[in-house]
Order: sequence, then structure tokens, then C-alpha cells
Amino acid sequence: MSNLLEKIEHYRRLFADQVSRVKEARGVEELRQLFLGRKKGHLTLLFEEFKTLGPEEKKSAGRMLNELKSEIQNRLAELEQKLQAPARVEQLEDLTLPGRQLYWGAPHPITLFQREIERIFVSMGFSVEEGPEIETDYYNFEALNFPPHHPARDSWDTLYINDRLLLRTHTSPVQIRVMEKKKPPIRIIIPGKVFRRETPDPTHLPMFYQVEGLVVDRGITFAHLKGTLEYFLKALFGEKIKLRFRPSFFPFTEPSAEVDIECIVCGGQDRNCRVCGGSGWKEILGAGMVDPQVFKNVSIDPEVYSGWAFGLGIDRTAMFAFQIPEIRQFYENDLRFLRQFNRR
Amino acid sequence: MKISYAWLKEYVNLNLNPEELADCLNQIGLMVETLTRFEDDTVFEIETYANRPDTLGHLGVAREIATLLGLSLKTRNWPLRELPQTTAEMVDINILDPQLCPRYCGLVVKGVKVGPSPDWLKKRLEAVGLRPINNVVDISNYVCFSLGQPIHTFDLSKIKGARIIIRKARKGEAIRTLEGETAELDPEMLVIADETTPVAIAGVIGGEESGITETTTDVFIESANFNPVSIRLTAKKLGLSTDASYRFERGVDPNAAPAAAVMAASLLCEFGGRVSRGLLDVHPAPRKPRTVNLRLRRVNELLGLEIEPDFVVKTLSGLGLKLKEQGPLVWTAEIPGFRVDLEREADLVEEVARFFGYDRIPSAVTPVKSFDLPADRKRDRVWRLKEVLFHHGFDEVINFSFADPEKEQLWQTGCRPIKLQNPISSKLSILRTSLLPGLVENAVWNFNREAEGVHIFEVGNIYYWEEEEVHRENLNLGILTTGLRSGRTWREAEKETDFFVLKGAVEDICGYLGYEQLSFEPVEHPFFEPGQALKILVKNELVGLLGLLNASLARGYDLERPAYCAEISLQELLSRQPRPFSFQPVPRYPGTSRDLSFLVDDSLTYQQIQQQLQKLNIACLENFLIYDRFQGKSLAPGKVSFSVRFYFRHSARTLQTEEVDRAMREIISQLKSTLKIQLR
Repeated sequence: MSNLLEKIEHYRRLFADQVSRVKEARGVEELRQLFLGRKKGHLTLLFEEFKTLGPEEKKSAGRMLNELKSEIQNRLAELEQKLQAPARVEQLEDLTLPGRQLYWGAPHPITLFQREIERIFVSMGFSVEEGPEIETDYYNFEALNFPPHHPARDSWDTLYINDRLLLRTHTSPVQIRVMEKKKPPIRIIIPGKVFRRETPDPTHLPMFYQVEGLVVDRGITFAHLKGTLEYFLKALFGEKIKLRFRPSFFPFTEPSAEVDIECIVCGGQDRNCRVCGGSGWKEILGAGMVDPQVFKNVSIDPEVYSGWAFGLGIDRTAMFAFQIPEIRQFYENDLRFLRQFNRR
Repeated sequence: MKISYAWLKEYVNLNLNPEELADCLNQIGLMVETLTRFEDDTVFEIETYANRPDTLGHLGVAREIATLLGLSLKTRNWPLRELPQTTAEMVDINILDPQLCPRYCGLVVKGVKVGPSPDWLKKRLEAVGLRPINNVVDISNYVCFSLGQPIHTFDLSKIKGARIIIRKARKGEAIRTLEGETAELDPEMLVIADETTPVAIAGVIGGEESGITETTTDVFIESANFNPVSIRLTAKKLGLSTDASYRFERGVDPNAAPAAAVMAASLLCEFGGRVSRGLLDVHPAPRKPRTVNLRLRRVNELLGLEIEPDFVVKTLSGLGLKLKEQGPLVWTAEIPGFRVDLEREADLVEEVARFFGYDRIPSAVTPVKSFDLPADRKRDRVWRLKEVLFHHGFDEVINFSFADPEKEQLWQTGCRPIKLQNPISSKLSILRTSLLPGLVENAVWNFNREAEGVHIFEVGNIYYWEEEEVHRENLNLGILTTGLRSGRTWREAEKETDFFVLKGAVEDICGYLGYEQLSFEPVEHPFFEPGQALKILVKNELVGLLGLLNASLARGYDLERPAYCAEISLQELLSRQPRPFSFQPVPRYPGTSRDLSFLVDDSLTYQQIQQQLQKLNIACLENFLIYDRFQGKSLAPGKVSFSVRFYFRHSARTLQTEEVDRAMREIISQLKSTLKIQLR
């Protein structure tokens, strides 16, 4: 008999201890199972034991046992209610206070613009290639049909490392590297950093970004070049932009073209426009049909294959698109400049 | 190149207004940059190309316009008042290096009265931005800007022995040029010499001594042709660029030399001059004109249109090419000497396209016949890691690849820097060997401009000599965090950044890119404060460093706040195979957790504890998390308290309390023996 009373007292203390630690609703259920579980609950077992007692003993033990059971039931129910009740939210008086905002880092505008360009070309089935920034004279010039000591090199003023190595002045050497490795059909764009020996001023820097495109296959024509670049520039600047193709010269294309787009700042209406100089047109990219000599340099037969290529300055195009007055701002990395592009 | 409308009209009858003419010039690629009035003339500043020296004279531009408009060029006559003597009787011309001087024409004009030019001539020159000097010099400029053939005039009396010798300079020779500077000559340079000394630097500039002065009466006219590469090298070496060298280095038509000499002589006759009889024309090895085959089929194939054969013939003939039909719709074109750019069929296709008009060529979609799979996922991964950093609130920067060697040296990057041969300035004279100096400069720049915190990263190459003659460019990631992490709001005080902000970003980059087995080891490195830096290891291979920027480095840049930075070699990191993604079924049975707080010696690092916990071999232990670390007065000295929450789950059924109890006992006993933990 005293044994059962002691057990009741033990479980009373055990329950008190355990119930004080319950922090979640599922803890309530665990405790209910532990104490009141239909087969192995502590109290269920005590009631089994209670049945074996004599009538006198049943009297006092029964009362205690029932008290404990209802105490446990009440306590658990109370706790359950408390834990399951929706957490009462502090009532705010002023809901117009600002919310909690998260700062999301800003991609560099060059990265952003480069990705826009890549996206347009990837949607046309182009793949993206890269190449080294330190190049040899062969890849940067010779293979691209720049004769040694030719004045054509003057427009690609070069930073040299030694007699053999230089910093690439354009992304075009990657054309050569890809065509050396891969047979047509080729359909690639090549974004990357390029370097020129230019003294910094508002529109020139010794380092900037270019993206180059190259298509080589049977039956590729100048009309394909036009169609693709028109689509690209409309995708970038909007359906209504006007374009102009005019003849130009690059050693690695023949025929060569330059593409102007209508000045989006003045629309050709301002004689003193600081963006287009009053001409109404802004030079945006250089292009052309791959020069047969370039094909010969990479052992592609120009009688069988033809191709087109273009190159565009990412910085300058971004300057034009966003009307950024100075190219230098891209590389000053002023957060007040950079963070604006987060909203684009 | 400035082109005068009035001057053009000397060669072709035009009655367009200047704006219409500008449109014509643009269509054929002679891009008009500016159009300005000059008195009653209009001047076009046109863009010329390195392969088109023929457009460096008004005749060449007139030829283009005439072809476009279907007009013919005017022929001009240059009558001479001749002397009884022949040129050969008066001067001797001797080419010693026919490689560098393929042709040399000379005429003598005697009795010239040197003086100011007449107004018409002054006006022509002023229109294109040339300063009139005297009639003789002005005439040579007029000829040059008409025909594109530079000519030079000497005072015949200053040419000793009346001998013109075209030779390479001798060692130690020098010449005082018309600009009044002394040029040191070297034996690679071609000169025009008399019996004793050089009187001009061939194709570049004349000598002062033999130049035309007010007392000159007898003029020797040089109209010659020089090797483009030789002229370019000489001009570059001397740092000189003249109207003559600019044309010669692009290639001048050898056949233009006689006509230019005659034109100059004829004009000098207007000033009392009488010309020696017979042009002295030294032309040791005349070259046959180049021929190029052209197929109409090829024109159409490259341009993507159907062009009329008549248009091809008319255009190319207008440009001075002589076409012979070689078969059905195939021609052989004889290229005139002034078109140095026309060498292959494609070059002729461009001529047809230019005059047809690029704007009239149709547009078509480039056909796709196959798609390439991306070669590797490297570019995607680089973007992914940028996204992780954006999410952590880092802004992306791009710095120059150039560095200042003095500043770079402070960093002791351990990489041998690559120097530039011809840098823009000493401060940009090497290529960077680390991304961190640039990031530190960005931080300072922004702190000086009201920023309270700078959290930035850059992905870009570093460059170095790996060994003699072997250079490397290595793609790196640099991260820097300094100053306030977030500003004050009505709910929260501002927060200062710390080491774990940076470390969390690094861990997340590796985590989200699938690089598991990330670990860190203490390291001493010149970038960082002693004891405040870690190596970053993936699968026990070093991929980068992170830590608190060394205080003396920071002082060197006037960076006052502590800055935490990391530099990771993406070349190393991305060359590793990330864990391939595999889907795990969502658990069907509930899990449970237990907390454990314990004391260990404070010499134990978290990473050591973590490694022991990872070694626990408990079947239903799903995960664990350290959620508290505490060290302080209430603890015994030399002790530190950790609290760990353990998560348990069975994949096939609900866990029993007893199983979890057993697991916890097992964990405690294992940790007691491995880490000597004391339960709290």
C-alpha cells in the first residue's frame, strides 16, 4: 500500500518537473502519452496496480490517484491551450512606420550590361567564349591580318609586356583561338576586358570591356550580319531605334561596316548635343564579313565557309544607354554610382 | 582629313548642297565628322582609314563621289614654260637603295620669285587648316593635298654638286630639320643626301639648310615614292609625324610621282619659273599592276543579294579599275596603283557593296544548323557566387588591372609582378598581383564620400610570372567588409561588420556552389593582423585566405576602420568538382531534438569540436548545431561552455524517447572520451 502512495507522490513530482519544461504543443502530447497513455502510461499502470488492492487501501489511494489524474489532465489541457493559442502579437499603434528592408548588393553596371548582351545572343543560339588577357602579337594582330608596322595598328595603341607579350587590345584574338580549335559551324560571343595605351579622359581609359561576336558557316552573308545586329540593337535599345550601316575599315573584316544608332538623347534635334555632337547618330559597333586572310590563318577554306563578326565597347554602350557622362565612373567604384544599378 | 568643297569641284562638277554631299560621303564610308563653313566654301572633316591613302587628297575623294553619282572626273592640264637644258644636265639622281625608294622623279625650276601666294591658293590651304608660308612651299602642299602625293622642294643652290643621292644615313649623321630641331640619324633611316651630307629625311621632313628661303631662285622638285614600313619606322623613331610621312607610311602610288612633279613645276611657272626639259624619272624596277579576279556569284554570296553585273562594271570602272571579262560573269580587274587596299576578291566585293549602299542590302536571320552545349559551367558558377554575395549585401566593383609597384610592394603578395614596357604612368606600370589593394582603395574612396560601411567584392584576374618567361593570369575573388553593416532604424541600432560576416559569406559561397569539406586553418600572412587570419581549404587544398586586414597596411591607405577581407583563387576553387546535386526524399516521420551544454578546455577550437561531432557514429543523429558559446566569470578559468542542439530522426518510423535517450548517452560518453567534456 505505502508502495503505491509513494509511487503516486513520485509521479506527481516527476510530472511537475517535466511539465515545467514543456515549451511546445507537441511536448504536451508527449507528456500525455507518458502519463496517461492507454497501455503504458504511468498513471494507467498505477490504476492497474490499484485494482489489486484491498477495499480499505483503495479508499485513500483511489482519492489520491484520481486527484493526480485530474491534476495532470487539467494542467495539460491548460498548457495545451496556452501553447496552441496564437501567439499574441504586440499591438502596434503606427503601422505607417517603415518595414524591415533587406539590402541586396548591386552588380557592377558593366556586369549587368554584359549579361543583358549575353542574354540576347544566347537566346539566338550563341555560346559564350573567353580568352586570355595577356596575348601574343600573333593572336592580337598578325593572325587578324594586321601587317607588322602597318599604320592600322595605330588605332589599337598597345601596352606591351615584352617583345612577345602584350595586353590584348580587343577581344578579337579569341576569334582566332576558337577557330583554331573548333570547326564551323561557329556561333559565339566573346565578352572581356581589353587594354589600350590611352591616357584617361572622359571618354578614354586604358582598360575597358568589349563584346565580340562571330558566326562561321557555309553560306553566311552580309545580310545575316545586318539582320542579327538589327535584332540585337533593338532588343537592347528598344524596337523603335533607328540604325545606320556604313562602310568602314578593319583589317580582319572585308567588307567592313560601322553601325550607328540614332541618338537617344537628342533624336538628332540638338545641334549641340554633347552625346552625338549634333549629328543625330552615335557610333555603336564595328562589324564585317570575316576577312579571307583570317580564315586562311586558321586553316578554314574561305571558298567553302564565310562568316561575320562584330565588336562593341560595353562601357561606351552602357554610357550611351544610361547617359553616364564619364567612362571613369565605372572604375571609381563610388557606391553612390554603383548602387543605382541595383534598381535596374 | 579636311576636304574643301570648292577644291573638290576642281576635279568633278558637283551641284549638291553640302548636306547632300555629306550624306553621299557617309554612304561610301568617308564618314563626315564635322561640316563647317569657310568663307564661301564648305569644309568636311572626314574619317579616313589606314588602308585608303588615296583618300588623303582631293582627287581621291572626288573619284569616289564621281563614281557614286555617275559623273566623270575633269582632266586638268599643267603647261610648262621650259628651259633649253634638260633636267639630267642640271642634276644627278642616284638611288642607292631601290628597296626603300622605288621611284624618284625630279625637275628643276629656275628663276622662281619666292613670295606670298596668291589669294586663291592661300584660301585653299587655309580651308583645310594649312598655314600659307610662301608660294613654293604652298604649291607643294597644294599638290600633296590635291593628289595625295607628297612632294618636297629644295633650294638647288644648297645642294652640293647638284647631286641627289638616296641612301641610308651613316652612323653619327644628324640633320637640322625644317622645324629647327636636330635629328640624330641612324643607319636604318633613308635620307636624301647631296655630295656630302643629308639634306632631307626621306619622306618625313626636309633639312633647314636646303630649304626654300626668300633668296631662293632655283628650285629642285622632288616627287618620289618610299617604302611605307621604312618611313613609319623612321618617323616613329624620330617622334615625327608629318603630312608626308602620314601618306608614305600608308603607301603612295608610285605612278603618281611624275604627274605631281609636273603639276608643281607648272604652278611654279606662274611665279617666273622656267622648267628643265624632260622629267628625270628614276624608276629601277617598275611593278606590274596587280590583277584580281571577281565572280559575280561571289559578290552575291557574300552580300546576300542579287546584284546587276552592269552595276559591278560601272562602279569598279569608275574607281579606276580596268575590267576584262574572263568568262560568264567573271572579270579580271587590273588594280590602279593608288588603291593599295585592293588585293583580293573580297576587297572588290566591299567596293561593290559600298557603292550599292549598305542600307540597301537586305536583312536576314542568321541560320542556325546546330546548337553547342556550354563547354563548362564555370561562368554560371561565377554568377552564382556573385548572387550569393549580393544576397549578403556586398556590392560588386571592377578595378583596373594595373597597379602602382610601390604600393603593391607593401602587400608582399609573394607573386613576381609583370611590368609593362610602355605604361601610361609609373602608378599604372605593373599588373596587379592581388585584388585586395584595389578593394582597400575603394573603401577609402567611399569613406571619404560619406559612406559609413563598405562591403564590396571583385571577380577578376591577377597576373604574375610563374617562372622566367611563363606568365599566369589567375581568376580571383576578393571580398572586403568594413564599417557599419546596417544603418540605424526605428527598431534596431546600427551594426558594425565583423569577421563572421565575411566568413559567413565565404561559407555560403562554397555551400551554394556545392563545395563541401570546407575547412579553415589559422595562418600568419602579411595581409593580415597576427593571429587574425585563416586559410580557406576545400578538401584540404588551399583555395584562399581571410582575416583582419593588417593594421600597418590599412594605415598606408589611411583606412581607419578595421577591415575584414578575403581573397580566393577561383581558378583553384572552380577547377574542383562540386558535389553533384542529388535529391533527398522529404522525411516522412517526425524528428526530435535534444540540447546539451558542456564545458571544455578553452584551447579547443570550435572546428575541433565540430570535427569530433562529425565523427559521431550514431544512426539516428541527423544533424547538430552549435547555438551558444560562453566564457566568463561564472565558469572555471580555462574553460569554455558550448551548447549544442542535436537533431534525431529515423527514416522509417517515429523515434522512441528511449532511443533518443540512448543516443544522447552515447554522444555524451563519446565526447567525454574525445573532448573531455564536463556536463553543465
